[in-house]
Amino acid sequence: MSQYASLLIALPLFSAFLIPILKKVGKNLVMPFLVLTTLIQTGIAAWVFNEVYTSGEPIIIMAGGFKPPVGINLYIGYFAALFILIVAVASFLMAVFSIKAVKVEPQDKYAMLFLLLMLGATGMIATGDIFNLFVFMEITAISAYALTAYNKTGKASEAALKYVVLGGIGSSFFLVGVALIYGSLGTLNMAHIAQLASIVNPTVAKAGLALLIFGLAVEAELFPLNAWAPDAYQEAPHPITAVFSAFVVKASLYAIGRILYILSASEGWNSVLSLLIIMGTLTVVIGELSALRQTNVKRMIAYSSIAQVGLIAVGIALGTQKGLDASIFQMFNHAIVKVLMFLAVGYAALELGGPEMENFKGLGKRMPITAFGITLGAIAIIGIPLFNVFWSKMQLIMAALEAEKTGVVALILGASLVEMVYYVRLIHTIWFQGDGDKIRENSALALVMLLLITFIILIGIYPQPFWNIMQKAGSDVFNVAEYIKNVPLVGVSS
Amino acid sequence: MVKRVLAIVFILIIGLWMAKALDQVPFGEDRMLVGKYYLEHVKEETGAVNAVTAVVVNYRGFDTLGEVTVLFIASTGVAALLWKKRKERSAKTEGSVVLTTGARILLPFIMLFGAYIFIHGHLTPGGGFPGGATIATAFLFLYLTFTLYEVDHKTFEPLEGLAGIGYVTVGLIGLAVGGYFLFDWIWQTWGVGKENIGRLLSAGFIPIIYTLIGIKVGTELTGIIDNMIKEPEEGGQ
Repeated sequence: MSQYASLLIALPLFSAFLIPILKKVGKNLVMPFLVLTTLIQTGIAAWVFNEVYTSGEPIIIMAGGFKPPVGINLYIGYFAALFILIVAVASFLMAVFSIKAVKVEPQDKYAMLFLLLMLGATGMIATGDIFNLFVFMEITAISAYALTAYNKTGKASEAALKYVVLGGIGSSFFLVGVALIYGSLGTLNMAHIAQLASIVNPTVAKAGLALLIFGLAVEAELFPLNAWAPDAYQEAPHPITAVFSAFVVKASLYAIGRILYILSASEGWNSVLSLLIIMGTLTVVIGELSALRQTNVKRMIAYSSIAQVGLIAVGIALGTQKGLDASIFQMFNHAIVKVLMFLAVGYAALELGGPEMENFKGLGKRMPITAFGITLGAIAIIGIPLFNVFWSKMQLIMAALEAEKTGVVALILGASLVEMVYYVRLIHTIWFQGDGDKIRENSALALVMLLLITFIILIGIYPQPFWNIMQKAGSDVFNVAEYIKNVPLVGVSS
Repeated sequence: MVKRVLAIVFILIIGLWMAKALDQVPFGEDRMLVGKYYLEHVKEETGAVNAVTAVVVNYRGFDTLGEVTVLFIASTGVAALLWKKRKERSAKTEGSVVLTTGARILLPFIMLFGAYIFIHGHLTPGGGFPGGATIATAFLFLYLTFTLYEVDHKTFEPLEGLAGIGYVTVGLIGLAVGGYFLFDWIWQTWGVGKENIGRLLSAGFIPIIYTLIGIKVGTELTGIIDNMIKEPEEGGQ
């Protein structure tokens, strides 16, 4: 029965391949079909989530019926079940938004690329094979390249070109890293690699890990490989921007975490951790400082998003269970808040003719619900009590204290301070400046925004049940011995 | 100049660092932890004589499905970015008579050879990707030789989708019959061609999948060529 979870991969693929045929039947069917598919995907993801969390056992999908490490397996444990659900829900909400936001032709191609982006992120999170991770990363990346340039303006093409070049270099790094690890161990399965991690040659492990992390850092937007991100966020269609920040980054961050921890038994592991901490810290500092001087709201939130990613990376690199839990909580909260903010900003930009700060004057009077969404998202992301991000930042600080990394604590607090400055400026512009006529807001989008707002406040007031889930998800990544035990490795001896 | 020197120094450092790591992976030694399993079990488990094909389609079929998807995204992405309502060929001069006649004669041979490659994927080197690329070469040939040639989009795009659907459907039948996605139901459940190893009708669903991949790759690469070779018409949007 549990093998049916492979529908999570099969359904988006099937639907994407069906669209060219559907287009012949009727052009107007494409966008509703996109919404329907993402809705079904959400249903399957919810079923899988329920299955994994009630039974406490991970779902192991063996493609082709071959046992790992001979065949490829998907590992849907606590972490994957949770994030596949997030990917599906975010895709569904953004598919609804796409109906309103994407008017540029050809919409059928847009729908196909959107579905495959969702597929890629799902696969990256679920896979238990290091080369398969590369394949899914390519699916994610290449559909992201095409979607970045989708608006076909000069700036969009430039942004996509930067992304393609950096992404290409990153992928080749990743592939060289995979080759090194395969060359020294003779296997590609993550559980099998983890099993052999203690005997792997330390030089190879260090070089391989560093290459893999560098390759993934392009997608994960870590400094110095994130130069593409602000441009791409600014120029991509609004729903795509939200999707980038909600799950494309998260999938890569998770992959970094997973690969890092499966090799945690190898020598020289700690030096890779410090590399990641340095990258994460620089990402936070540069992201926040750049956000401070933006006049384009979408770009400002993009920089803020990059800075948050840096915080998550630092949390992953603390090397403790607590740090991972906190990072995952931060990933979860950030996904919700950024979907809300990019949705609200994108919608306002559509109605007002552009995301420049100028246009946002008087938004509070013109589009109250949208303005409320932006405001609440901003307050939440700064980390004010009673909102969700407060708890995850708090946990991050506590984890950093426990790991005796006071620099990280200062980093988190400093970043929140800078965030406060630019978000308060934005809120001030929205509510206390300018005037204008009221615009009738789209009721479906208003409903989505209100739903997300409720969710943010709900987690803010009752964090405990969510924190329990995050701790389980964290142990899924941290507890490598358990991971190895859960994958039914067939005896392939050397 | 300084930039160039710095770049060279930087690349040398990276190269040295990688060479040091590579040095720890001795060349020519036995690294066949999983590889040996493939070589020993490939015939009885998949029926393919070509071990690479068996690994690519059966053992690690998930990766191949992903690669097919990557190609699909590339073709869709190119089509999305170069989309215009009306487009026309930019070529102005017809090729010489030798060229056009040569193309006419060679065309069926290239097509036939492409089909041969993907149908015999389980027996000879090659498979769906080279076969499809060969077929696309035939279409490229037509585009380059004749100024007016254009593929029929009404059949090409749905055909591409259908081939992809076919692949996923074969996988889903495996899920229904054998309990696993991409399970080789023809070989492992039905046992078709068990005595036939090494001949055309063997190896379970490998020939079927390779035919689908061949069609898909052929149409996709042709679609990319078609999109890239055309220019928007005057006044077209």
